[in-house]
Amino acid sequence: MELANIDKLLESYFEGNTSLKEEMELGAFFNSNKVPAHLEMYRPMFKSFSEAREVQSTRELKLPIAKPKSTFMVWSIAASIAIVLGVGSLFFFQNTGLTAEQEEALMAYNQAKETMLLLSENLNKGASKITYLEEFEQGTSAINIINQFNETRNKILK
Amino acid sequence: MKQKEFLETVLPIKDKLYRLARRLLVSSEEAEDAVQEVFLKLWKGRDKMKEYSNPEAFAVTMTKNYCLDRLKSKQASNLKIVHSNYQHSDNLQKKVELNDEVALVFKVMDTLPEKQRMVMQLRDIEQFEFHEISEMLDINETAIRVNLSRARKTVREELLKKYNYGIS
Repeated sequence: MELANIDKLLESYFEGNTSLKEEMELGAFFNSNKVPAHLEMYRPMFKSFSEAREVQSTRELKLPIAKPKSTFMVWSIAASIAIVLGVGSLFFFQNTGLTAEQEEALMAYNQAKETMLLLSENLNKGASKITYLEEFEQGTSAINIINQFNETRNKILK
Repeated sequence: MKQKEFLETVLPIKDKLYRLARRLLVSSEEAEDAVQEVFLKLWKGRDKMKEYSNPEAFAVTMTKNYCLDRLKSKQASNLKIVHSNYQHSDNLQKKVELNDEVALVFKVMDTLPEKQRMVMQLRDIEQFEFHEISEMLDINETAIRVNLSRARKTVREELLKKYNYGIS
């Protein structure tokens, strides 16, 4: 780069008016070996900037492992509920204290009860149908009244 | 946001945040603490992070605020900042041999007012655009240029003093 241009850039650099691209040009120039004596004093400035850019953090980042912990919690809660239910139901069914024969009898009884219930339900349905029949009969009797009415009317007309 | 996705977003800016924290807090230990704290906060608010147009600028703002708070509480409790970075071997010193003038530039930078220090850090070292710095520090571009110009001139003055002293 031309020296005149460098002088100009430097001037606007110290006024805070250079663009990033121009500042990078200045940095490249002052970090090269072509710096003339009268500009030597600016070298440490640009050198320190490029050196400071190389500094790195050495400590490793520590983040709380939140996600896996919470899923573990959910699973452990679910598992404990399942265990409580399992153990509880085991005790519940054991406490009926029935022998195999009695249980069989109970089952048969329950089955019989169910069929009876089903039967009575259907019977009720049938019975409700019968009420319809009654209404029909009422209807026919009403028709009979109309017939009688017609008969008497005919008599009058004659 | 899963941890992997989060780290992919924030890890590339870790060093930038560290360097800014170190510029402000001077101690590298405290800067590492600051970065850890800022990342913890970012991690806690990770669901909101997608809403920000520029997560990098947001992280820089958080770092700046954290460090300024630290400095304030330090002043309040009258604690002296330990300037340990220049005497002890540090990863910077290990990597490159600093000559006196470069060390002087860093020393001068650490004496600058906080605003100038931050602006110089973000522009001359991290090479952010003015509009980005404006978003990060919440100050307008004219104020940024003014602070930057002052910081650069102060460094130049100190270098000039040293240079003239060396010659005469």
